[in-house]
Amino acid sequence: MQDKYLNAVVVGRRALTDRITEILIAAQAGRALPPAEAGSHIELRFGGDDGRFLRHYSVVGALTAGSAPEPYWRIAVQRENRARGSAFIHDNFAVGTRLRVSRPLNAFRLMRHRPKHLLIAGGIGITPIFAMARSLDARHEPFSALYVGLERATMAYVDELGALCGDRLSVIQTQHDGIPDLKALLAIQPEGTQVYVCGPAGMIEALVAAAADLGWAPERIRYEVFNAAHKPEDEGFEVRLKDGDTLAVGAGMTILDALEARGVETYADCRRGECGLCTTAVVACDGELDHRDHFFSDEDRADGRQMTICCSRIRGRVLELDI
Amino acid sequence: MATIAPQPPKRQLSDNDIFAAMEPHDSGAFANNTTPLIRNAWYACARSTEIGRTPLARKFLGVDVVLYRTLDGQPVAMRNRCPHRSFPLAKGKLVGDKLVCGYHGMEFGTDGVCSKLPALANVPATASVRIFPIADRGPLTWIWMGSPDLADEALIPDTWWLSDPSWGTVSGDFHINADYVSMHENLIDQTHFPFLHPDTVGTPEYARSKLTASTENNQVVIRRELLNCAPPGVYGKPADIMDKRVDRTSEARFVSPALHTAYARVRVHEPDEGKPGLYRYNITHVFTPETNNSMHYWWFNSRDYLPEDEAIDSFMLDAHTQAYSEDVEALEWINEVVRTDGEEQFDLSFAPDKPGLMARRILYRLAMAEAR
Repeated sequence: MQDKYLNAVVVGRRALTDRITEILIAAQAGRALPPAEAGSHIELRFGGDDGRFLRHYSVVGALTAGSAPEPYWRIAVQRENRARGSAFIHDNFAVGTRLRVSRPLNAFRLMRHRPKHLLIAGGIGITPIFAMARSLDARHEPFSALYVGLERATMAYVDELGALCGDRLSVIQTQHDGIPDLKALLAIQPEGTQVYVCGPAGMIEALVAAAADLGWAPERIRYEVFNAAHKPEDEGFEVRLKDGDTLAVGAGMTILDALEARGVETYADCRRGECGLCTTAVVACDGELDHRDHFFSDEDRADGRQMTICCSRIRGRVLELDI
Repeated sequence: MATIAPQPPKRQLSDNDIFAAMEPHDSGAFANNTTPLIRNAWYACARSTEIGRTPLARKFLGVDVVLYRTLDGQPVAMRNRCPHRSFPLAKGKLVGDKLVCGYHGMEFGTDGVCSKLPALANVPATASVRIFPIADRGPLTWIWMGSPDLADEALIPDTWWLSDPSWGTVSGDFHINADYVSMHENLIDQTHFPFLHPDTVGTPEYARSKLTASTENNQVVIRRELLNCAPPGVYGKPADIMDKRVDRTSEARFVSPALHTAYARVRVHEPDEGKPGLYRYNITHVFTPETNNSMHYWWFNSRDYLPEDEAIDSFMLDAHTQAYSEDVEALEWINEVVRTDGEEQFDLSFAPDKPGLMARRILYRLAMAEAR
């Protein structure tokens, strides 16, 4: 089986806002990276030789209309106060830092030949949305974009997106303009408009609910949630294995990360709670299971006998797994 | 005559400048059968009537693709390989607008997104298959194998005469075991006509007529003109003007990696009462690399008179099928030698090869710009 990951190196870094840093990633030894379609993301492994962290980031691509595809991948990383992965990137990534990256995966696909496309970005959710705007512009497909942030100074690529979109872009600064009325926005869209949204979970939930209220078919809202495995308030806990061995799962890492670092044989593919390959039976837990996947049914969750170890955690101190 | 004042050299050449100038130049500056294929271009993938409700598997640029139409007739081009265990999706079945994999029943919609994965309660967002931009234009359907972000349908080459009812068109197709670079060079090289096609398009008089070649926006155009001559049989017989003197002009154009067009214009000196003074023929050669050493080829010969005339259709079809069969046979022989002969050869080129080399240089540059 071919290796999913490539050796890569950081070739550029610059601050976009106080909290957001742009990183350019190229293949080692000057080889070209596989091209990334708009909406695709890469898995990034970093933090020492064994790659202690694994995070997903959308590939932004070229910042101007009509540019040739870039020979490197451009990502933007927002520092979350207690999410260790993004803090590690901000503190440690420099030109020359070596990484392992996956080939681009496209789980957020643009459709073609829609009467209209509506792009909605909240905060750092701009990264896939920017690539989508560039693609739609290049292909002369009708679209409009809404970019919501606290205020302009915190909004990465807001000027570049304005230059690309012209009057197709609306910018909402919630600090001055308040929260946008997403239901009113959907209500005025032409028949057949396809919506793509990336941003905070609350914003996506509000948009999905607004579309449901208006009687829209659910597939007309396409969204992407990143790094569901990590929340700023996460705490560390301990995992006990069948052979009696124990290992520590720190905040900012997953159970899967900890098992792999220990050399335990595991199975995982998507690493974001969708494919179910990493599902593991739970023997005991001194607290509640904190399911963060999209794989299990509500019934499975209530049953509490298994979990996806790529993203789910516990609210407690000790978890005993059948592994 | 103006004199040119000698200019002092701007700076002294260093040893390094001189050594650099002595380095051999890139011998690969002209595309051949080993040059990477150009992905960012529209290529014909099928006659539009070939694509329907039965999935059609075909390889383009080395990539397996499945083609089908939705219930309302829209063409779909999907990677012919399930992202789960590589089952060829063309071996599955169409249910409504969705293609269902014949191995584990994963269902893929026209945007490539998996909408059903029978073994799981929820479909993972990562379960999707690559979709290629595709569009119908007249008798052909076109596909874009490169970055979908660049797939502007305005870039599909214009071949309006193929769907204009006032033009009559005959057509044929071949699967050829040869590289598409040699095909481009063959089509823009007219010095082979009298030898490879002695019975149809090759008249010795025409081969010696004056030729101009130029490049315009990554296209190569050759034009030639022959005044006050006898009409060639292939154009004169169907128009019934073999007893006339005519002026011939023609243009052959390397349009894109996917297309070569040729226009022939025959102006009759003293046309008979009620008959045209000008006869126009457009020849359309459309081809798509299947691999580096094989291609799909469709040809069209169109005329601007008597569009429904079956006798002319039959004459044109026979004459051109013969000529193109001769080209196909020659290109397959050449490709086999190039691939299998154990001693490498750097082909010689001569003055009349310039238009072909211009086209091969453009193909090489386009390929290198993508390969980086």
